[in-house]
Amino acid sequence: MSLLNLLLHPEALDLVYFTIIGVLFSLFVSFLPALHIYNILGIFLMLVLKFEAGMSAMQLVALCTGMVVGYSILNTVPATYFGPGDESLSYYVLPSAHWVAMGRGYESVILTGVGAVGGLVLLAISAPVFLWVLPGLKSITSPHMFWIIMAVIAYILMSEWPKGVSQSKSTWANFFEGWKFLSVGLLTFFLSGVLGFIVMSKTLVPLEFAFQSITPVFVGLYAIPWLITNIINAGTIPHQHECRSLDLDWDLFSRGIFGGFLGGFFAAFVPIVTAGIGGLMAGHATAQRDSRLFVMSYGTCKTVYYVGSFMLFFIPGLSLTRGGLAWIVTPVVATLTMKDYALFVGMMLVATGASFMLLMPFTRACIRLVEWIDYHLISWVAMFITVPMVYYFTGWGGIAIMTVATGIGLLPVLFQARRMNLMGVLLLPVALNMAGYGNDVLRLLGLL
Amino acid sequence: MKGFTHFISGIAVASFFPQAVHMASQEQSFILCLGGVFGILPDTLDFKFARYFHTSDFEVRPDPNDLDARIIAKTVAESMEKAARDGRSTVQLHTMQLGSNLWRSYTLGFDSKTNEVVVELGPLVDTGQVPFEGTEPKDPEKLTARVKVSLPFFQEFDKKSNIAIMSGPCFEFVRRDDGRLEIVFLPWHRTWSHSVTLGIVISLLVALVSYLVVPEGPNAAMYTIPRWLVYPLIVFLGSLVHIVEDSTGFMGNNLFWPFTKDRTSGLGFMSAAEAIPNFFFVWTSIICILFNLDRFRWAPDQVAAGIPHPETFFFWFYAVPVAVMAYFFLKGKHEKDARKAEKKEVDFDSPTASERETDASVV
Repeated sequence: MSLLNLLLHPEALDLVYFTIIGVLFSLFVSFLPALHIYNILGIFLMLVLKFEAGMSAMQLVALCTGMVVGYSILNTVPATYFGPGDESLSYYVLPSAHWVAMGRGYESVILTGVGAVGGLVLLAISAPVFLWVLPGLKSITSPHMFWIIMAVIAYILMSEWPKGVSQSKSTWANFFEGWKFLSVGLLTFFLSGVLGFIVMSKTLVPLEFAFQSITPVFVGLYAIPWLITNIINAGTIPHQHECRSLDLDWDLFSRGIFGGFLGGFFAAFVPIVTAGIGGLMAGHATAQRDSRLFVMSYGTCKTVYYVGSFMLFFIPGLSLTRGGLAWIVTPVVATLTMKDYALFVGMMLVATGASFMLLMPFTRACIRLVEWIDYHLISWVAMFITVPMVYYFTGWGGIAIMTVATGIGLLPVLFQARRMNLMGVLLLPVALNMAGYGNDVLRLLGLL
Repeated sequence: MKGFTHFISGIAVASFFPQAVHMASQEQSFILCLGGVFGILPDTLDFKFARYFHTSDFEVRPDPNDLDARIIAKTVAESMEKAARDGRSTVQLHTMQLGSNLWRSYTLGFDSKTNEVVVELGPLVDTGQVPFEGTEPKDPEKLTARVKVSLPFFQEFDKKSNIAIMSGPCFEFVRRDDGRLEIVFLPWHRTWSHSVTLGIVISLLVALVSYLVVPEGPNAAMYTIPRWLVYPLIVFLGSLVHIVEDSTGFMGNNLFWPFTKDRTSGLGFMSAAEAIPNFFFVWTSIICILFNLDRFRWAPDQVAAGIPHPETFFFWFYAVPVAVMAYFFLKGKHEKDARKAEKKEVDFDSPTASERETDASVV
């Protein structure tokens, strides 16, 4: 009731307004092809919204909350039909592409939306528990974060199983066929890691856009290879059936939300770990098999990751800055009180409702678009927007980084290896830097 | 159990060593990851190495252009007849890939009541094993086949295997003293790699290396075991916890290879693919890791505990979740038993949870 009083207080109504505006902005932002959420939001806030200086701190937070909640729910739609923008999305898109190929893309998107709403409601319910639990969890894990990230790396690399289907009489031929995929995965991780070290130590991006230095890397690793795949793909998107009901029961719903929440929370809490990685680990931990479970659980996972990492920032006394959005609001939010935390949870729920209401018409609009315009053409247009945008913000240096990253990003596409290995670009340098070995590696690479 | 379960259990085991926790927090050592790596290693050895070097006496390579269930069933039955004569025989069943995302599925069952090998050709499926309805072969003569075997047989799970994507399964047939044939699923799996013997050999090698290269380290007087010994102990216990967890399922392990020849049966408490048992082990490991990291924190008199009241922590974060898991696990088990009691006979046409363990894609 006190939360309701707080939210319905005339003082807080402008926050509801800014939250809704944020959701509407996210509708536009999620359509921008193949760029990482935080880069888009950063550009949006710093270049488009020049008037942010005239906003109060909480109004900016409301706008950001609306944008991140809206983006995390609505970006599934263009990702499903036009391609993913980051690792967290690419983990979902491969299975959802099967659904699109079967004409069930709409169902896939709505299942993901149901998962996202479930995850955000669970996040709101958990908000008081976080106050009690997270300070202790932070103090226990802080000195150990570097090896936790290294354990994540070890698991990602060791849990990729051979995909080769060679049926040769020669055991060695079968062995090499199986290891071909594993070797590409390892090579991808290693090359991405080296690229990460280079970009983090000697960036080619102009200083005034240093906050965007990772953008060309992500565009190259994820977006461009996906667009190239779309462009050379000979297939067409079949007619998409708009279902009136979902094949879903409480057992499936609760398992999906629970697994996704665990993965999303892990990704939000541990630095550098993304929803894709969290989703993979939670999926394995809860032995998920059903494709509906996977799709819905993924919706929960990525939403809890995006919004949860922002939410951690608002927990009084915790001071956990996870994700780009928390860094964006850090300069304007000086102190955090219990009231701010409660307001954040309220704004999150308002944004959740507004975003879910937009999900179905937005999906229908996207379906009309792909049925009306050839998706090859859309991919070309996306390419013509993305590359100049990278040039505009990061110059020729950014284009050079993007080109190298594209070469690495194409490896898993060509050899059907896990795209998650591309996260080596952040995981490896961060884990080694946190452990204190970063300079040794830089010296080895001749960068120091 | 799932790879993740073994991995995190290995880390949990490593966290019981205060010296390892101190090395991690004070010296930026990755030693705790060693438990995870050796926790998942037995499956890595099997699925990334052993499977490729296992040779079979018979191979089933169905021709997608001339599909006949009888040919498949006869080849499997021939392998069983060879085992009846010679004591042992193996058969490898291959999949049929028709496109980058298109496969022809078929099922293989062993009906111990009628002593028959049962094969049924299935629909086309995609790599996600989603069937395309109406794509089953049309010729009823070739669609299903039952071929009689001379010796009676038995297996741990009297069910069928679905052979559809990636690599197909392998079966070994072993003639036992009572004159029956035992059907062993994936004979290359959970043998030498899942033995205590291998764990001991690897940890002895690690002990030798660590004894030679690992220095004593700071504050040696604080610990009861020398630093060099921590490494082999984590390696051994990490692989041992994998074996123990796998033993709770149906398939079991060959614990003392090469002194024992065959894989023993598991305890059969749960199926490796079931969600709740996997999560039970994962959650137990997480709780152990957090508790150990906290109680072995460096300078405990200067740094406040993250878990100030262990009893409250264990009640809310372990006892309550385990009680909830136990409720749903037992409920599911009762429902399954009730379904089994209704059917009474082995059903070759519908999958069950225990059967999933015989699906190569799950293991």
